This record gives sequence, C-alpha cells and structure tokens, in this order.
Amino acid sequence: MSRLKNNKSLMQALSWIGMIIIAFIIFGIFLLMQGANPLEAYKNMFESTLTNQIGISKLILKSVPFILLAVATSISTRAGLVNVGVEGQLMIGMLFTITAANFLFTSLPTVLGLILLAIVGMLGGALYGGVAGLFRVKANMNETITTVVMNYISYFIVSLAVYGYLRDPEGFNWPMSTQISDSLTLPKLFGTVNIGIIIALLVVALVWYFINKTKTGFKMKVVCGNPNAAKNAGINVNKVRFFAMVATGAIAGLAGMIEICGVEGRLRTTTCQDYGYLGFLAAWMAWNNPVLSVATAVIISFLSVSGNVLEFKNNLPASSTQILMSIVLLAIMWRGKGRKES
Amino acid sequence: MISLITNFLTNAIQSGTSVLYGIYGETITERSGIVNLGTEGSMILGAIAAYIVAADSGSMGLAIICAMLAGGALALIHAYLCINRKANQLASGLTLMFLGLGIAAFYGREYVSVSITGLNKIAIPLLSKIPVIGEAFFNQDILTYLSFVLCPVLWWFLYKTRKGLFLRAAGEDKEVVYAYGKNPQSLRYLATVLGGMISAIGGAQLSIAYTKTWSEGMTNGRGIIAVSLVVLAKYNPSKAMIGAYVYGGAQALNVILQSQGVEISPFLLMMLPYVITLVALFVSSVRKGTNAPNELKNIIGG
Repeated sequence: MSRLKNNKSLMQALSWIGMIIIAFIIFGIFLLMQGANPLEAYKNMFESTLTNQIGISKLILKSVPFILLAVATSISTRAGLVNVGVEGQLMIGMLFTITAANFLFTSLPTVLGLILLAIVGMLGGALYGGVAGLFRVKANMNETITTVVMNYISYFIVSLAVYGYLRDPEGFNWPMSTQISDSLTLPKLFGTVNIGIIIALLVVALVWYFINKTKTGFKMKVVCGNPNAAKNAGINVNKVRFFAMVATGAIAGLAGMIEICGVEGRLRTTTCQDYGYLGFLAAWMAWNNPVLSVATAVIISFLSVSGNVLEFKNNLPASSTQILMSIVLLAIMWRGKGRKES
Repeated sequence: MISLITNFLTNAIQSGTSVLYGIYGETITERSGIVNLGTEGSMILGAIAAYIVAADSGSMGLAIICAMLAGGALALIHAYLCINRKANQLASGLTLMFLGLGIAAFYGREYVSVSITGLNKIAIPLLSKIPVIGEAFFNQDILTYLSFVLCPVLWWFLYKTRKGLFLRAAGEDKEVVYAYGKNPQSLRYLATVLGGMISAIGGAQLSIAYTKTWSEGMTNGRGIIAVSLVVLAKYNPSKAMIGAYVYGGAQALNVILQSQGVEISPFLLMMLPYVITLVALFVSSVRKGTNAPNELKNIIGG
C-alpha cells in the first residue's frame, strides 16, 4: 500500500517536472517566433543566476516573499477559497510596517523593534484580509472578485500615503517614504541575505503542521471538500473561512514587514507590486501544498531574477517572463492533479 | 453648469462603454455556467490587437475584427481548461488575465508612442441636438452606438431564442440540456468564446476610440470590475448599463474635478470607481435572490 502511494507521488512529481519543461519548450517556440534564440536565452538565465554568489543571494532574497505569499494563499485554498488578496495584504502590511517604523518605534532596540514591527505588519495584512473575509461570510461576496478589486484599492492607499504623510522631506520631491532607521533592519545571514529566509521556512513548517495536524486544519479540509457536509457535521463554516482569510492576510503582512525591514528600507508607490500575484501562482503551481510551494516559489524567484537578464542580454522586455510564468501555470493546470482531487 | 453636466455625462459614457462590453461578454459566459476572470485578459488583448492593426493598416473595421479574434482566442483556452481539463475556473481565469497582460505588454512596447487616427465621433442628426443629454449620448463613436444596440440584441438572444434558452439551461442544470439531446459543454464553449470576443470589443473601444493611445496595462482592472458588475446587473444584459455607467461616472468625476481645479488627492478619486464597485457588489449580494445561475453557485460561493 505504501509502495503504491510512493509510486503515485513519484509519478506526480515526474509529471509536474514534465509540465514545467513543456512550458519552457512552448515559451522557447514563442521566443523563436520573436527571432530570439531560446537556448541562448535560457543559458543566459541560468548562468547569471545560478553560477555566482550575487545571483544566488538575489535568488534567495527574492524567494522569501514568494514563499510566504504562496504559503499564505494555500491556507485560504485549503479552506475552499480562491483568495488573490495577498497582493493587497502585502501592500497594507508594508504600509503599516513603514508607518510604525518611522513614527512609533524609531528609537527602539533592534530585537524589540523588529518583533513589534512584525506584529504590526501582520496586523495590517490581517485587517485587510479580514475585511475581504467579512465580505465573504457576512455578505456572501465572492472572495476572488473582492480581493482583486481590493488589490487595486491598496495601490491607491499606498500612493496616497507615500505622496502624503510618509513622504521623505529630503527625498528631492521623489514619491518615496523616509528610510527606516538602521536599528530596524533585519540582521544579515551572509552577504545581502537576511534572516527573512529562516523566518519564511519556519512559517512553512508551522503552516504545514497547522493544516495537517490540528483540529482547525482538519475542519478546513472538510469545509473545502464539501461545505454542506461540514455544516451538517456541526462545523461553523463561516468561522473557518473567516479565520483562513485572516491567517492568509497576517502571513502576507509578515512578508511585507520582511520586505521593508530586510530589502527595501522604504516604501515607494511601486514597491513589491505584483509579488502577491506571483505568490498566488506559486501556491497554485504547488497544488497549494506548503512544502512544495517552497520549490515553486524558488522557481518563480528564479524566473523573476533571471528575467532581467533576458532584458539586458537578449533584448526581450520584462513582460516576457510574465508570459513564461503564465505558460508554466497553464501547463500545470492542464495536467491537473493526477485527476483525483485529494 | 449645463455644459459641465454634458461634459460629465459624455465622459461617463466614454469611460463606461469598455466596461459595458465586459459586462455583456461576461453575462453571456456566466449564464452558461462558466465564470471567466480572464475577461481582463481578453479586454487588454482586444485593446492592443485593435491598436496595432489600427496603427499599421489604418482600417478600423479590421482592427475591431482582430481584437475580437484575440479576445476570443484567450477565452477559448479558458473554455478548454475548464470544460475538458476540469481546471479551477477562478484560477484559470486569473492565469489568463496575467497571460493577456503579458502578451499585450510584449507586443505593445513598440506602440507606446505611436499615434493613430482612431474612431471619430459621429453626431447623429437631430438627436445630438437634444439639450444636456444629446451631446453625451448621440455624439459618440460607432462602438458606443453598437453598445447601445447590443443591449436589446443580447437580451433577445438570451431570452427569446432557442439557443439562448439552452445556453441559460446549461448554466442552471446541465442534465436538463442533455435530456433535450443538446450538449451543454459545446454551449459553454460557445458562450465563453463569444463572451471573450464581446469583451475584447470593449478593449478596442478603450484604445482606438476613447483614449486613442496605448499604454501598458491600460485596462486597469476594467475586466475584473465587469465581472463584479455582472452580479449587480443580475446576469441580465438589459441591466448592464447601470453598473457600467456608475463606474464610468466615477471615472468622469475624477476628470471633471481635476479640470475644475478642486483640491483633492487624485489617488482618492482614482480609488473611487473600485470602491463603488465593491459597494455595488455588496448591495447586490445582500439583496435577496441574486439570480445567479445554479451551476455557478458551486464555483463562486454559496
């Protein structure tokens, strides 16, 4: 029995890798049609990112938000929701973090300051996710639509703040916030890589444990499988869904805090734009399995980092990576999860 | 003051028309039991395809046809993934939205500073002379007039033809359609592709009639907003204009207030259409009897 199970997961893994290869082939044909050499493009992408320390540091650094956003998304999906709100929740998490860092905690010692900022960031994301959650459970509004609309709203909220109270008085009128103080930056592991990656992996472990080993995690699975059966079994479906939306938001907000305190140092109108959507793609590529989504987040990070190379060396616009990523995801959707949903 | 109102209405209609097409398209699609968030992708592909053809060939008719083909092609992928491969409709739609935005940005990069003549306004004799509203409703481009005509045409198609009846039945209970010896899946294909094509006309209206420019991501969520407003229109093309022009009105308010030099943050004004969309969605969801096709309820919640 267990051998059968192993064989099945092996087959799944193989077909999954196969789909990614097929996506690269389709994109290669697309590149050929544009008069670019796909082999050369792929070679440039791999060489620039994977064969030197700077490239690998960038890869790890950029994987962190995608890992967190993917894991966050997978919590909602496990409760039967298609929640794209991590984009907006990340924005609000960043906004809360930078506001607290620049106005409240400026002179706090590093450890205390960072812990408080993490809480504030998570609070921001959780609040924004909670609003969408309320829409879902109180007004029965579809969460996919409300979260996409709220993502647009979050951009304008960030712009409003960055052009308003956050604006750096010494920023030569550029629309950006003041830089956070040095004491509030995340400690470095090596090179440019900060402890964000460790936090992200810890969160993955926690979420995996939560989904698979706790009572609430089990309830979520039941709600996802059949909401009516869950209701009959005495599970408060709305409560579970609301909780999932809030938890997703909190983790997305944490990702925002890590981006501000670990990478960006300040907020601009375009900071981390589209990261949420990429995180969502990473989650769905991994069939919303938290552990597998680490791998897909790294792939997305790789495509995102090496996509710049396409721009410089092969004269292809940044949008080509977006096309490649969509094709990868379409291929995985085409394959489905071995036909039988677990 | 009168001219200000006329100006506001003209702007509201120009800006709302693209969303109106999106609502028409998505209504047809959702009536058959498929929800397509890729409407955004179809719209942006329509916008860029129309723009490229308009710039290179100068033929506006050809531009609109190409827009429809591009938008329909994207919707065809959605239909295939959802119907044949049983993919999650919401996730598939979102992915196609990204794909559409990516492809449009890719091919659009050389057209950012290219200018076109585009579709010009055609004043309808007499009607356009009606005070206040005449200018707004009857001095518009041909795609706006087409959107007026489509309202009764689509309503008639859905409610008065056999094909429309079966299409709606596919969205309510596909077993019934089978019982009548029709294939609900092919009806869904038809509805999804047709929906993508109609939405793409909205994209074309945006690029070659309203703004007459191309900029990356210029649909700015109009497709997603259209999907939300379908609920407000109660899945009925005859009520589509309400939501579309409320959205257009919010956009127009932005333009008018800016031009009047009112001191208010532009970001608050830009946020307005999205907030109004949320409110509209809220109101229509709380109201009893959403009228949503049965087969959709499993997908978009219940």
